[in-house]
Amino acid sequence: MAQPLVKKDDDQEGEEYSPFLGIEKGAVLQEARVFNDPQLDARRCSQVLTKLLYLLNQGENFTKIEATEVFFAVTKLFQSKDNGLRRMVYLMIKEISPSADEVIIVTSSLMKDMNSKTYMYRANAIRVLCRITDGTLLTQIERYLKQAIVDKNPVIASAALVSGIHLLQTNPEIVKRWTNEVQEAIQSRAAALVQFHALALLHQIRQSDRLAVSKLVTFGLTKKGSVRSPLAQCLLIRYTSQVIRDSSMNSQTGERPLFDFLEACLQHKADMVIVEAARAITEFSGVTSRELTPAITVLQLFLSSSKPVLRFAAVRTLNKVAMTHPLAFTNCNIDMESLISDQNRSIATLAITTLFNTGNESSVDRLMKQKISNFMADIADEFKIVVVDAIRSLCLKFPLKHRSLMNLLSNILREEGGFEYKKAIIDSIVILIRDIPEAKETGLFQLCEFIEDCEFTYLSTQVLHFLGNEGHKTSNPSKYIRYIYNRVILENATVRAAAVSTLAKFGSMVESLKPRIFVLLKRCLFDSDDEVRDRATLYLNMLGWDASVGETDKGVKEFLFGALDVPLVNLEASLRSYEPSEEPFNLSAVPKQVKSQPLTDKKTPSKKPTSPVDAYEKLLSSMPPEFSSFGQLFKSSAPVELTEAETEYAVNVVKHIFSGHIVFQYNCTNTIPEQLLENVLVVVDASETKEFAQVTSKPLKTLPDDSPGQTFVAFMKPDGLPATGRFSNLLKFIVKEVDPATGEAKEEEEGVEDEYQLEDLQVVAADYMLKVSVLNFENAWESIGPACERIDEYGLGVRESLAEAVTAVINILGMQPCEGTDVVPNNARSHTCLLSGVFIGNVKVLARLSFGIDGPKQVAMKLAVRSEEEAISDAIHEIVANG
Amino acid sequence: MLLAVLFANTDGNILIERFHGVPAEERLHWRSFLVKLGAENLRGAKNEELFVASHKSVYIVYTVLGDICIYVVGKDEDDELALAEVIFAITSCTKDACGKPPTERLFLDKYGKICLSLDEIVWQGMLENTEKERIKRLIRMKPPADV
Repeated sequence: MAQPLVKKDDDQEGEEYSPFLGIEKGAVLQEARVFNDPQLDARRCSQVLTKLLYLLNQGENFTKIEATEVFFAVTKLFQSKDNGLRRMVYLMIKEISPSADEVIIVTSSLMKDMNSKTYMYRANAIRVLCRITDGTLLTQIERYLKQAIVDKNPVIASAALVSGIHLLQTNPEIVKRWTNEVQEAIQSRAAALVQFHALALLHQIRQSDRLAVSKLVTFGLTKKGSVRSPLAQCLLIRYTSQVIRDSSMNSQTGERPLFDFLEACLQHKADMVIVEAARAITEFSGVTSRELTPAITVLQLFLSSSKPVLRFAAVRTLNKVAMTHPLAFTNCNIDMESLISDQNRSIATLAITTLFNTGNESSVDRLMKQKISNFMADIADEFKIVVVDAIRSLCLKFPLKHRSLMNLLSNILREEGGFEYKKAIIDSIVILIRDIPEAKETGLFQLCEFIEDCEFTYLSTQVLHFLGNEGHKTSNPSKYIRYIYNRVILENATVRAAAVSTLAKFGSMVESLKPRIFVLLKRCLFDSDDEVRDRATLYLNMLGWDASVGETDKGVKEFLFGALDVPLVNLEASLRSYEPSEEPFNLSAVPKQVKSQPLTDKKTPSKKPTSPVDAYEKLLSSMPPEFSSFGQLFKSSAPVELTEAETEYAVNVVKHIFSGHIVFQYNCTNTIPEQLLENVLVVVDASETKEFAQVTSKPLKTLPDDSPGQTFVAFMKPDGLPATGRFSNLLKFIVKEVDPATGEAKEEEEGVEDEYQLEDLQVVAADYMLKVSVLNFENAWESIGPACERIDEYGLGVRESLAEAVTAVINILGMQPCEGTDVVPNNARSHTCLLSGVFIGNVKVLARLSFGIDGPKQVAMKLAVRSEEEAISDAIHEIVANG
Repeated sequence: MLLAVLFANTDGNILIERFHGVPAEERLHWRSFLVKLGAENLRGAKNEELFVASHKSVYIVYTVLGDICIYVVGKDEDDELALAEVIFAITSCTKDACGKPPTERLFLDKYGKICLSLDEIVWQGMLENTEKERIKRLIRMKPPADV
């Protein structure tokens, strides 16, 4: 009896002490000195190398000096003939990846190994060399690598081929010269994996050449080119389906043998190949149901495979099939349902989402009985979100089932979960409330319950805001008040402030509740937080608590709860740059256009980003007084290039639009280091345009190389009107030679006058339109009303596609596409695009464009414009008519 | 592309990790995501029973071997089936190096050998070898038996 006990003790001791216990970098670096011993102890050296590897794998950082020392010491180990140690050395060099100036130390040893008679030295040396090499060394060893690719030893061939795949990223021109050798390797009978690597490399070399890929595939289907490894066969299937997809011929002719190959692969002995082939077949857009059936049948069989990976692969593929060919998928429903209880949660998640996406009205109830909420408790948040999204789409598809589906959402909302997950559920409930009117009361009640016990401030405030918008429209708004006021009592300051706003909104919208809301708001006047007190004071005063209770003024409602109509980013930027002074902050001065990031140098990300609108405004306000008298900047265009890339002088222009003026800001860059430019000015010829008159210009004093500078030219134009025209530009300057020693212009140098022709610049109607999006187009459309609506129809002629026509019109108008309507589905015959913007003079404009395309690709368009002024609606039509 | 191979103990401490094509700032995220995935699913799992997941168009196949959790992550052509091949090669080599499904101590004892095996199986995100016998010879610098 004593014996097993002793053994157990031994075991436990073994468990406790790791061979790396207490390992310390400094000590290991000391130990690495054994690499310098004249009599190398291979075993000891291997142990030290293992320790170094362990440290590297634990994320220990070696300083540059430490890494260099280790590297130099390791190179000494090339003297040892011990195989195990040599293998370790190869790995270690790859792990430390020496810097370019150190590589030279080992290259000769490695090149020697690469031609060694010991096969294994050769394979490993190739891998290490390719890992640490640069272009110049590569040309030296290229000859050996080409030989290695066709070497009879599969280890050497594979090492060279895989190296080729990596080197293709850095030195494509060299690797592309190896095509013949790689082709030979594909026919290699030696090892299945060599074929796999060769096929992958050859495809990568030729992937941009469709014909070559097609030849590669055709060759792969011949007996000579047939591949043995299932991995290689999978590659071949992928390339084949790519070729079939690329060729636009129908299945009657050219690629039939290719399709036959895919069908034959469904009978392959390797599961991996069968799944790949089935996947390829199901992914073709024009596949017939006769072609689809065998593929779906094999996938269906895999659904009940004992191997989880196969079940996953099958369910993942069928999930996609369910979207594209719902009818063909119907047979799999029962098998799929049995996967809901799969041990592997990812498989179950995919099965559930697939069933949700394909389910019909009658299957919803059955699915609900599957205890999905139990299942949800077992999976990670990332996967739960996928299920929540599926529930939402199912509910939108079958609004009649909203009761059971929203119950499910409400149940899972009560379970544990992280922020993203809870947010996904809240977002879903909000969308369902918006889209299914019958779901509103239930949904709002669920949200109220949620905020009673919500740990996320952000979500609580979002829900409160939403309650404020929707709650007062219900049959009995008073029932929500309790939940909202509870927040004032129980929550943190941010949530309390949001609750105060929501209460006030109820008060302003529902007259009967007003006196009671005043009582609650008055209690908030004594809150510990100043924001809460301030809000309560504001609302009480604005809603008139001290006056006799009457209907709240529309202006007050607009002031308190109306939209600001400016992007919050811009508002924030303007508020930050506002300096307290006598002059109050002017909301109408906040730029309305959301600008993308300017074309700044990407190499200096550390610089604090400033809004481009802001930057331009500051820039212009620092200009001569004439510029600042132009009034408020309406819009700045994106930079338009006036020179081709890589010319001596690079110039682009930004158009700044004011009500009665336009300023061209020419951004000039001098790329010649030997030159300094002075008095740089753009001479603008506006003779082709009658509506513009030049008023002033500001030349650039000096322009040294590679430090961009700006010169400006300003024109007067008819006030508030969208004048257009073409301007020709000539860059004039004085060139001075630069002393290379000092980097400054030579003193005696007077300079030579020179000029440089730039491309013409156009001012178009879109320059007068700000891209301003609206949250809800339909609401905005209704609120502008039909008073100033103008509708007309246009023929756009023959177009490449509907998408191209839509993009062209959007560009002509320069308006913001709303609700993603700028994206035209493939093969669509008609499309509606919604645009919004603000036209010069700060007039809101909305446009609804209906496009249709016929057989010979003639595109017709109906344009309905609504704006606040008739003249502007007409102007928009004029822009389209002239465009 | 094989994006990552990770070995961790049952407590979630990383023993070996190889990332390829994953920016340094995303590695921490992957590390914790995988360890969490393992903690949620591998408890009570049988040795070498494969688990599979996909997250943001990336596939993950993972398993447990003795006290060691092994994760492989791939994308594009390295889908769940290719990853299953990789993880099979990794588990058989690890078992071979240790002689049995390893305890953490045994795994660390054979650390060097396992690192070398991994170097033969995956090299900078490319699958290089899958046969256990061949890998066993390669790490001792012996040419494969079939040559």
